[in-house]
Amino acid sequence: MLFFLARRIGVMLVTALCLTFVVFYLTNIPAKLETLAKTQAGSRISDAEVASWLERNGYNQPMLVRYGEWLGVARGWTRENEDGSMTGRCYMLTGSAEPGAAPARCGLAQGYWGNSTRFRAPVSEVISARLGATGMLMLWVLIVMVPMALIVGVLAGMREGSRTDRTLSTFAIASTATPEYVSGVVFIALLASSTVGLSPLLVSWGWIDGPVLFQGNARSALDGITFWNFALPVMTVALYGMGYVARITRASMTEVMTQQYIRTARLKGVSFPNIVLRHALRNALIAPFTVIMLQIPWLLNGVVIVEVLFSYPGFGWTLFEAAANNDIELLLAASVVAVLVVLVTQLISDIGYVYLNPRIRVT
Amino acid sequence: MTHSKRKATELHRAARLYARECREGKLSRREFLTRATALGVAAPAAYGLLGLAAPQAKAQTEQMGGSLRMQMDIKAQRDPRTWDWSELANVCRGWLEYLVSYERDGSIQPVLLESWEANEDATVFTLNIRPGVKWNNGDDFTAADVAHNFERWCDASVEGNSMAGRMSALAEDGKLRDGAVEIVDDLTIRLHLSSPDIAIIVNTADYPAAVVHPSFTGDDPVANPIGTGPYRPVSHNTGIGAVIERNPDHTWWNEGNGAWLDRIEFVDLGTDPAAWMAAAEGGEIDLTYQTTGDFVDLFEMIGLPKSEAITASTLAVRFNQTQAPYDNVNVRRALQMAVNNEIVLELGYNDLGTVAENHHVCPIHPEYAEIPGPVFDPAQAKAMIEAEGLADHEFELISIDDNWQAATCDSVAAQIRAAGINIKRTILPGATFWNDWLNYPFSSTEWNMRPLGVQVLNLAYRSGEAWNEAGFANAEFDALLDEANGIADADARREVMAKIQQIMLDEGVLIQPYWRSLYRNARPNVLNAEMHPTFEVRYQHYALS
Repeated sequence: MLFFLARRIGVMLVTALCLTFVVFYLTNIPAKLETLAKTQAGSRISDAEVASWLERNGYNQPMLVRYGEWLGVARGWTRENEDGSMTGRCYMLTGSAEPGAAPARCGLAQGYWGNSTRFRAPVSEVISARLGATGMLMLWVLIVMVPMALIVGVLAGMREGSRTDRTLSTFAIASTATPEYVSGVVFIALLASSTVGLSPLLVSWGWIDGPVLFQGNARSALDGITFWNFALPVMTVALYGMGYVARITRASMTEVMTQQYIRTARLKGVSFPNIVLRHALRNALIAPFTVIMLQIPWLLNGVVIVEVLFSYPGFGWTLFEAAANNDIELLLAASVVAVLVVLVTQLISDIGYVYLNPRIRVT
Repeated sequence: MTHSKRKATELHRAARLYARECREGKLSRREFLTRATALGVAAPAAYGLLGLAAPQAKAQTEQMGGSLRMQMDIKAQRDPRTWDWSELANVCRGWLEYLVSYERDGSIQPVLLESWEANEDATVFTLNIRPGVKWNNGDDFTAADVAHNFERWCDASVEGNSMAGRMSALAEDGKLRDGAVEIVDDLTIRLHLSSPDIAIIVNTADYPAAVVHPSFTGDDPVANPIGTGPYRPVSHNTGIGAVIERNPDHTWWNEGNGAWLDRIEFVDLGTDPAAWMAAAEGGEIDLTYQTTGDFVDLFEMIGLPKSEAITASTLAVRFNQTQAPYDNVNVRRALQMAVNNEIVLELGYNDLGTVAENHHVCPIHPEYAEIPGPVFDPAQAKAMIEAEGLADHEFELISIDDNWQAATCDSVAAQIRAAGINIKRTILPGATFWNDWLNYPFSSTEWNMRPLGVQVLNLAYRSGEAWNEAGFANAEFDALLDEANGIADADARREVMAKIQQIMLDEGVLIQPYWRSLYRNARPNVLNAEMHPTFEVRYQHYALS
């Protein structure tokens, strides 16, 4: 078990290293650095000013050296100012200007994640705040999605080909075939518009006070989540994921229901609800369990559309902003977080297998 | 140059001249106000010269208190003189004030100055500083503070300091020229210009000209909010929003004439107007920063009436003359000739503006000269292109992926295509577009308005200027522009301007299809928040009724 864990963590580190290098390379090609200088020092500055900005901020060193700086294996760049104070990567990160006051190396290895150029704040602060916001969204999505998906899948799968199965399968396929940018817009038009959809009807009947039933914009959920401002983004994400998980659950359930031991149980006279709940369910949940675990990293990185659509500043929104503004260190940190989340959830699902199915061993 | 000392009550000679011209119908009232107030005539006096009373505040009364939420992009802050977006300035307007302000009616009003006056040939300006102004840290606001700001503005060694270009008459070798700013006494300062520049006062109303405290060194005016205004920042999150509240520890010089709101909240909802719409419907915002295209009417439908500002803002579909084939004047003129500006306005901008004439001087500018406009002749255009041997050449028109800018360029390209000339359209995302905006051979750039016609010409078309994206270098044009910059007399100046405009047309510098009107939608109970021609959000005057 320990060996298994160690190997997994090793794989994780290597993956993170490779991925961050790719991100680092792509964000540091000269045109991208020029974008960065222009977003930082003024979108209409001249080429000479771009060059001087890049030089003053340590971007003119070889790419590998700067990747080493970010990792914390190479010494951070320094420069002595005219008045004797020092500037450099480590001086900026520690906020001191006295010569010798900052460490020589300040990268990931020393615990420095760097500064976000887009948000003018430490990356760790930005990531943790935005991750928290997406965490809330994910939590509610999972609370809505998982039970719904399992119920739909199990009900559909326990009697393959029945009318219930056909109805629920149609629903599941339809929901998973509708991309979020379609369902989100449909939801907004239907439930959050004062001129079309349901809201004007409800207003004319006097059922709601405000002009709209739901908020079509989740920005206020940052200050306090309510049913009315959070329902639409949660439903938009949950509906898409739900259909998918339900389909997997159904497939797994139908397969289990054809097993010999289920037939044996029926022949012994065990009641149908009992067969489903006590004999079929646990075995049928192995496949959906992996899929749900896979949904978590997907949620984390795949909510970009929903977060931008509902202007909810979460992790996906941050990724979008960082990419649009070539915020190098924020993008790097985001990719590290993404790798971590993928591998940790896969680790959990591998270990979870053992408890769901005693025939499987981790080693 | 000797300075002719005049009392503050005395009127500039040119102002009386303008008043006569205005009464004779040579100047519009708007032009008159811009010109007269730029020469130091107070707005009520300027109205008085026309025999009119200055407009009074509207009948609805402002209520003390309340809070307002406004949709606006929140960008990472930096040193005010390097601001490149009006939004950066707007956040800080509550505490960082300006020497003067440019008003919606085209006049210039004193803010931190009480009055100013120019000598006869606009080379010496005497600025009288408003007495009784205090910084919110308790310091007095003095002439030395103003001098310090002029010094900051003239420092061209700071990357992206766009004020340096505006203050060139005070600078030398990228620094403030010795003796250019003379501190006469605590409340008087005198500017000695190296060449006549009538725009120097108007330039201090421009958004990067926010007046900062001498102790300000960093690049974040939000973290270090020392200013003279009545508000202070509470929070500022890039891309998310900013909250500003009334500063209870500071007595504002203009107390009683503003600072109605307790709190104003800027909400950054991204660039998609559909998201703003959803937020407005949910009651999460009370007004937009700027509404464009179809959304102006859509917002009206949901109960946010529009306000309009007529401006000299435009889209410059310019050629870069340093690159083939646009180094050939016949090619440039042929492409101009293929495009009917009226159609571009109608299809590209929903007719929300007025037709322009390809020379980047607007009828609302005081020095605008009426000259025969551009010719629309697609057959001739095709013939000229063929004569240059470019019949098979495929031109490329580049634009940013912004809604109206792309639509405008589409309609320009469509007309060129209709004339039988090959052209393809390329649309670049904002992040990529600005990387190279100066160097695209044929592309479009949004230009915001400046109060005087010479100002944009100085910034964008003078040889070697940083923002000269047309690559336009014409000695005669530069000389005429220098001449125009120092002429106080409207008619004489207009004569020079006519020559300048004609050079712009003869050289085929750009296709400039229309002047934009700007719109904002706000709830009916929001007062004083009409759209401003230079995008100013002076929330210290906004109120609820």
